[in-house]
Amino acid sequence: MPSTEPADRNPDKGYVALLGWSLNAVEALDRFDRRYVVVAPEWAEEYCKNNEIPYIPWNFERLNDRSMEIAETLQEEGVDVAIPLYEETVEWAGAINSVLLDNPRLLGQAMLLRDKALMKRRAQLGGIRVGIFEEAHDKGDVIRFLKRVNQTLLKLDGDPNDPIHLKAFDKAGSLGHRVIRTPDEVDGIPDEEFPVLMESHLDGWEFAVEAWVHNGKIKFLNISEYVRLGYSVFVPATPELEKYRPAITQQIEKLIKAFDIDFGFVHPEYFVTSDGEMYFGEVAYRPPGFKVFELLERAYGFNAYQALVLAFDPKTTEEEIDAFFPREVVDARGYAGCFGVYPRRRVVSELAIPEETEDHDYFESHELSAPLEETVTKRTAFGTHWGLVYFFGDEPYQMRDLLKRQEDLDFYV
Amino acid sequence: MTAIDSDPGDDATLTKRLAALDDATRAMAESRDFGKQLKLRRVLDSLRRTLQQPGGCAAVQSRAEALEEAGLFMGTDWASPEILVPALGAAGLRSGDADTVLLEATSELRMLAIATGEYAHPAISAEDAHQFVTQVLATNLTMLFTPPSEAERTKQGRLAQLIRDLFRHLGERIGYESVLDRLVDELWRILRQRPIQVEPVQKMITQIAIYRSDPDVDLGSAVQGLDRLITSLFGTTEASREDPGIDVFRSRLEAMDASALQFEATGFARAMHDTGLVSPYHAELLRFLLEGSDYLLAEALGLSNTGRDCMLRYHDLVHRLIEEAIHPQTAQAVYGLALMLDRGILYQPPVAPSLWRQLALPLSPYARERLTLAYGPTPGPEARLLAGVLSMLGLPLGVGQGDNPTCQSARALSMWAYNDPDYLLQMVVWAARDDEIIMHFEGQAISSRESVSGVATTLPTDLDPVSLLVVPHLDRIYAEMGRRCVGRPGDPHRWVNPEFHGWWTGRGFHIDVDVETGNLIDVDDFMRHFYANYHPAYNGDQPLTHPQPAGIAATDSAARYIGWHAITILRVGLDPQDVMRVYFYNPNNDSGQDWGDGVVVSTAGQGERFGEGSLPFEQFASRLYIYHVDPVERGDVDQVSAEEIEQVIGYIHRSWGADRVPVGELQASPEPADRSPV
Repeated sequence: MPSTEPADRNPDKGYVALLGWSLNAVEALDRFDRRYVVVAPEWAEEYCKNNEIPYIPWNFERLNDRSMEIAETLQEEGVDVAIPLYEETVEWAGAINSVLLDNPRLLGQAMLLRDKALMKRRAQLGGIRVGIFEEAHDKGDVIRFLKRVNQTLLKLDGDPNDPIHLKAFDKAGSLGHRVIRTPDEVDGIPDEEFPVLMESHLDGWEFAVEAWVHNGKIKFLNISEYVRLGYSVFVPATPELEKYRPAITQQIEKLIKAFDIDFGFVHPEYFVTSDGEMYFGEVAYRPPGFKVFELLERAYGFNAYQALVLAFDPKTTEEEIDAFFPREVVDARGYAGCFGVYPRRRVVSELAIPEETEDHDYFESHELSAPLEETVTKRTAFGTHWGLVYFFGDEPYQMRDLLKRQEDLDFYV
Repeated sequence: MTAIDSDPGDDATLTKRLAALDDATRAMAESRDFGKQLKLRRVLDSLRRTLQQPGGCAAVQSRAEALEEAGLFMGTDWASPEILVPALGAAGLRSGDADTVLLEATSELRMLAIATGEYAHPAISAEDAHQFVTQVLATNLTMLFTPPSEAERTKQGRLAQLIRDLFRHLGERIGYESVLDRLVDELWRILRQRPIQVEPVQKMITQIAIYRSDPDVDLGSAVQGLDRLITSLFGTTEASREDPGIDVFRSRLEAMDASALQFEATGFARAMHDTGLVSPYHAELLRFLLEGSDYLLAEALGLSNTGRDCMLRYHDLVHRLIEEAIHPQTAQAVYGLALMLDRGILYQPPVAPSLWRQLALPLSPYARERLTLAYGPTPGPEARLLAGVLSMLGLPLGVGQGDNPTCQSARALSMWAYNDPDYLLQMVVWAARDDEIIMHFEGQAISSRESVSGVATTLPTDLDPVSLLVVPHLDRIYAEMGRRCVGRPGDPHRWVNPEFHGWWTGRGFHIDVDVETGNLIDVDDFMRHFYANYHPAYNGDQPLTHPQPAGIAATDSAARYIGWHAITILRVGLDPQDVMRVYFYNPNNDSGQDWGDGVVVSTAGQGERFGEGSLPFEQFASRLYIYHVDPVERGDVDQVSAEEIEQVIGYIHRSWGADRVPVGELQASPEPADRSPV
């Protein structure tokens, strides 16, 4: 019969607080040996109560003078460490952990990790290569930057411009990400999106890393290969990308040092150019989007949220965390990938998974639902996909081609 | 039962899918109740992918306990198998929602696991589970041997096939004895429509025969009609009594005298004409008799006087046809040959020379490949195609569209086989030899090679040999004709139907649906002209001269609209009870469908010829939305009574027309649910 009993908790291990609501994270922790409590807005209360999920209500707005209140509440509760689940709770975790772990530096570190411009400066100071970047406060700044970047590249008038990228300072992943090629396109940016971070375009291979850190050391390092940014990703990466693993590991070690990260989890993005040079893009101190954690579980069999807890919990021992993680790449049971579906037509009436996708040996499942509206909103920035399609198979290049192929198919007709 | 279940362990694909299913199930099992929904998607998708594989049903059955314990059914009615109702199970399996279908299918397999004792369930006993599965099976027998109907295809797509595999598995495991009498009735009902393709029926009969020969199975008291079905395939006559194999049978024939051979010949002929099924031994007998007298050959074919004359007149041709086309593997073509001779169509001047051409026809490599892929290498593709030609010419109304959305093309083939056989033979030549058919639309040539896409998106494989080769061409041409009408006002069938089907399609065109809005339009006028042209009481007792294409609004058994469907009106006449009926051809594989609101298509017993479906005139009219007439033949439109029209409109408003009544008209008319006049 269905199990309704929570797992046994180990009182000698840490007690963690999850900042933000993620059912996937809660479900994973619920069957793990650490005590946990969910800190989330009030709308989660009823669900937690009904399902006996330990819960403390809190509204994560901007940090304010009440932040101390939640830190003290958690301290009284006996919580050892707080784990941020979303970009918006990273600074909260920093503030709370500086109290719980009696380490004021953690708040500053979190602020650094929350601001893309500050982050780049710090990386640069740490000897990490970054592209050209600048902050923009209005459209004029953007046009100037675009021109200057292209002058630097010795472009003549009339040559096609190299694009620049605009990103919000403090939003996760590709939210609010725009690519600008011509001054005309600048007009399309709403004023309320400013200020933004501008970056030169790096013509290279973009990839992401997920690294679990314990006592300042990398305990597990995954390289996620993007087939197309914002559309598809798979783990582990192809041998073609994995061959950079030693270089990537070095980069992450530099990063850990530059940001003074002692424990937890980092999720940076890099470009590797054709000559093998690594460029730092950005780094997040929280789980990645696009269900990479789920992909890791499918590929390796370990639960990445539970790994998160181990990496944050000050009571985790070296032996424990070493035993938890499999060996990178060699221990993977296969390659797990997913594809984010965007409708390709302007008007859609139904969900129709292409037979070629559904029949593919690698296809596993999808979480697409039937369209609610017939007209598809035109995408300006990188928007949100309509759901993910999951694949699993034993050949990385076939996986890459398969994910690429999905871009040409209609899932909504 | 050895031939039916491939060992799951042999199948690499199934193994992989099971690994994914087991992984997903484990993830769900590990999760506490609130987390299970997160794991459900993967379990359901893996279930679907497993069940779509051969051996998938057995594998899921053996995992039923693990799946239930993981919490697959949690929070649904399926969690309490003791309260489930067999009749509702059928509804679940026919649902358009894929997840409902999968949960229902898995629940059925769980019941089976409980019934067979491999899963001891705390809430329901093995006996009750057995009873449950039996009832589900009994109420869904059609699923065992007919391809999905238009309704299922539209609603369920490829899941429809999955359900069929499920039922076959349930039947094999639970045993057919409990549902045997209904099963046999159902087999007879299908056979009375004389389909060209009888493989599913043959398989089912074989299955039952194997069952019956198993000493452990008690099929209970004799079931009426069962013996006839089995003996039509196996042990039809003295020489084939114990299914001895072709070689032994042949040597027995060689030792027989004329009267013994006569006995064999009539025995086979009777069985064939009785059931529409042909035993492989029958084919062998025919080949043997080629060396003997024409008299015995005619006996073995069970020919009428017409057929016998025809055979004697075209002696050489018939011999060649048998030599080339009739083999134990193509035995069904014997029935086609017999009926073709009986139809007397060889007397039409172009038909015999066309068949000679067919005998010598070189097939294109592509045609050979398609035929070999569909039917195997023995006999060769030429023989398969020729056998298919004989079947289609003998059984024009036995053409089925299989599990493909190509009712138009199936209808055209049937119509030509019925009405214009030499034209059909010409089409076959073009398709099989040239891989190209060129038809003309308003003077412009349309090549099937240049028209890129048809209605169907994939090549069919589940068709008779002629359809297999010709339908893809016709489908593309039909779609191209439609494309050439883009921009014209109204419905394209007005122009496409006559050009596509033949000169005899009336150029007068009536439709009672407004193409722009989908609403009903001019229903009264539409019906008056239909009655005046087609109903003998209003058209001066004029029988229909040529088959006419028509369009119907297909409805399901709850009278809900499913889609537009192509049929052929064949004739209109009084049935034995003096009810005026329309007899028509439906390219769907089983014409006996319940269209809801009391409109149930009859296929036998109301004056139908083999392959015809029929409905009382007003019921047929109520599902009609397109028909053709000869515009110069004008029946007496005014003589049609208002009552008659109102009766038809009542049927329309209670079914597919329910939400197509224009707003103004609805306000002016009383509630369509009662039968009061509008």
